[in-house]
Amino acid sequence: MSELAIRRGAAPALAVRGLDYSYPRATQPALIDVSLEIAPGEFVLLAGRSASGKSTLLKAACGLVPHFHGGEIDGEVRVAELDALEAGPGELAAAVGYLAQDPETQVVSTTVAAEIELPLEMRGDAPADRARAVEEVALALAVPHLLDRAVDTLSGGELQRVALAAALVTRPRLILLDEPTSQLDPVAGDELIWLLRRLNEEWGVAVLLAEHRLERCLAAADRVVAMVDGGVAFDGRPAGFLEWAHERHAALTTPAARLFSLVGLTPLPVGVRDARQTLRGTGIGHPLHIASRRVPDPRSSDPVLRAQNLWVELDRGEELRDVLRGIDLEVRPGERIALMGRNGAGKSTLLRTAAGLHEAVAGKLDVGSVALLTQNPSDYLVRERVGDELPGEEGMSALRMVGLEHAVDADPRDLSGGERQRLALAIALAGRMEGELLPAVVALDEPTRGMDRARKDELVALIRSLAGDVAFVDKEATKATRAAAVVVATHDVEFASAFAERVVLLGEGVVIADGPMEEILSGGWYFATEVARVLDLPGIVTPEQGAAVLKGELE
Amino acid sequence: MKSPFAYKPRRGSLQNASPGAAVSYLGAIVVVAFLYLNPLVLLAAGAAATLAGVLAGARAAVRAALRMGLSLALLVALVNALVTSRGETVIARLGDWPLFGRVDVTVEAIVAGVSYGLLAAATIVAFAVYSSCVDPDRVLRVLRPFAGRSALTATLVSRLVPVAAADAGRLRDAAALRGPAAAPVGKAPLARRLLAGSLDRAVDVAATLELRGYSLEAPRARSRRSHSRYDRRFYSVAAILLLTAIAGKLVGADDFQAYPTISIGFGPTTLAVAAIVSLSGLAPLRHGPKRRIQPADGTKRRTRRDRSSRRRRRLDQSARRSGAARV
Repeated sequence: MSELAIRRGAAPALAVRGLDYSYPRATQPALIDVSLEIAPGEFVLLAGRSASGKSTLLKAACGLVPHFHGGEIDGEVRVAELDALEAGPGELAAAVGYLAQDPETQVVSTTVAAEIELPLEMRGDAPADRARAVEEVALALAVPHLLDRAVDTLSGGELQRVALAAALVTRPRLILLDEPTSQLDPVAGDELIWLLRRLNEEWGVAVLLAEHRLERCLAAADRVVAMVDGGVAFDGRPAGFLEWAHERHAALTTPAARLFSLVGLTPLPVGVRDARQTLRGTGIGHPLHIASRRVPDPRSSDPVLRAQNLWVELDRGEELRDVLRGIDLEVRPGERIALMGRNGAGKSTLLRTAAGLHEAVAGKLDVGSVALLTQNPSDYLVRERVGDELPGEEGMSALRMVGLEHAVDADPRDLSGGERQRLALAIALAGRMEGELLPAVVALDEPTRGMDRARKDELVALIRSLAGDVAFVDKEATKATRAAAVVVATHDVEFASAFAERVVLLGEGVVIADGPMEEILSGGWYFATEVARVLDLPGIVTPEQGAAVLKGELE
Repeated sequence: MKSPFAYKPRRGSLQNASPGAAVSYLGAIVVVAFLYLNPLVLLAAGAAATLAGVLAGARAAVRAALRMGLSLALLVALVNALVTSRGETVIARLGDWPLFGRVDVTVEAIVAGVSYGLLAAATIVAFAVYSSCVDPDRVLRVLRPFAGRSALTATLVSRLVPVAAADAGRLRDAAALRGPAAAPVGKAPLARRLLAGSLDRAVDVAATLELRGYSLEAPRARSRRSHSRYDRRFYSVAAILLLTAIAGKLVGADDFQAYPTISIGFGPTTLAVAAIVSLSGLAPLRHGPKRRIQPADGTKRRTRRDRSSRRRRRLDQSARRSGAARV
């Protein structure tokens, strides 16, 4: 087929037929009989639980599977009429762009301009063409001001945009994205999704986007492909997907869809606007009665963490920067706190300062012992056997607490992402899980990156048990007799609504909001749950709360 | 924390210059240092490298390099004083030492050591300025047509070294955060883990390079001509430096002898070479555009002449109002 025909949309952007694939030395195939076709200019959302084959399918579409990873493959993959099983990733680069989850490993140059220009240079484009293409893609992605910057000075969101620019600069007909928002705050995440939609509409780029937080991008998609155990289990419109997920895989539904299904409203909404339109159609107005949940009495116990006018300065190479600027905060035993804010707001720095990794330059910090789980749980795993990480009876006790006693002989690298997270937490808590030894504060820094909803539910249960929530304490598994305060830095508002009773919102190193979870997560736009955005009622953030209010209205 | 020697894009003349011009200029300073043993000329080379770095905005790199270079210079002077017993001016007799034998500390050995140390310090500062001011991507792009695989290796290393440093910091933090009953992390497991992590990172970066088309066999495009308006200046200064250094050597400007007694030349040719080398440090000096200060309201600034003519007009008007005729 001619280049012109492909450009005009006659050929599919991606055609996969009967694809089977197994990684080298894997006991189970990663993809089983996958067939799929994406038309030029389509925006397709790839849904599925962890390890369902989403990332492998994306890698097969860009040629990394099998050319880079090896393994056994059978079937057909064509990208804009190029045979992806014959052509390598280099040849496919002109037709397909790929953006992985971690932007850190996707930049290879020192400056932004060089990074974006590299694919064109490799392709042999003339200097004038390269200059124009770099300028245009920088304008399209709103990064021209970053062109002269060094890549190691960029924030996570900026780095993700630069990696996207490098993937788009060759004007590919298909762009593949593997959880690109998992490390971004809600603001940057929403910006990225709508930027993709704009590129899709204006440039005609077909998009295949793998995501766990479906509520963030379902409304932008034309179509959803759901994967289960390596195969395609659903392929259709977003509304149909929600019906399918509601019946077959509840973990894949969105909060707004859960809200509607609890109330018995149909059709299930694919986004906030859809939900509001349906609600207007049923004649539901804005209920006035708001039931607020219990908020701990601040005088009920002595704080285990008290920061007064806390200033922390960090060295950023040639400059010192005030990352925390006069933080005042008190945390009491048993509290479950979500620490939220944009990338660079100071969340991690606050947790690291509490754990003693940074020193304050001014102010006062009184804190008991702190167990901190940093952003990358793999940093805690240095041995090749779980039992070697946690020896003895105390180690086994820690493993029991996180439900990993069965994995004592396993290699930590063979554990799933959620299990590695729990093992790292067990390492941080080992030897201080009983009585007075229990840390005053258990701090988790961005623990849900790349986790599906089922794994997040497990983490919520663990957080609640650490905080001494009786309903969640498994008496067989733990001997904890004292409740720790649990502080979790997170960008995931739905996760925060599931575990937190209080939310502290940071902005540019200062506390800009601190209050009950329902109040904070229903009082804004970006830092608000999908249900809060649908109903716009103070204090209503979860599907269950929303359903209770709506049922009252309907009656 | 970012290394002070890491490249930082700035709008300086040295940063804007083509890699060839910047390397020629800083390389000429290093060549001068290697050609001469006269401490005065070596000091001048060190001063030139320092001045160039400061004018290029790489103050942090220069500070760190000076700390490192001067510490090394002191160490070299000390070691030379202990291992070399040549020289007539003995200032301390330290007796017989194991391995060293008889140790006599002489002024000549100290001065010779200082000279070697100054050479090392000047070289370190020049390399620090290079590292901080010259974009490695541009250097690699120049090298790629001649040595593709070496350039790929250099690309991976230049990307992975800072990433590995960051990983090491994170692993140390995680080791410090382990609970008391978790197995302690010694240096060996930590190093093993860091190596394994670096290999994983390298695989990811290699995959990205694949996706960017690094393995394509298509003829690579010629690099964009990256000349700047400063190139000629840097090439000229480099040429002047080299010619001065060679001419100086020929006419005996490198008059320095440490043993048996110290003889340091401070003749006119040595002074001239030292002066030229020092002044070469001004090459990155950048003139900003000349600006005319104007009042905030955008009106033209009044000169004294404007003000006196306004005053004359006011006097004329008041004279007319009072009916007096101007004589």
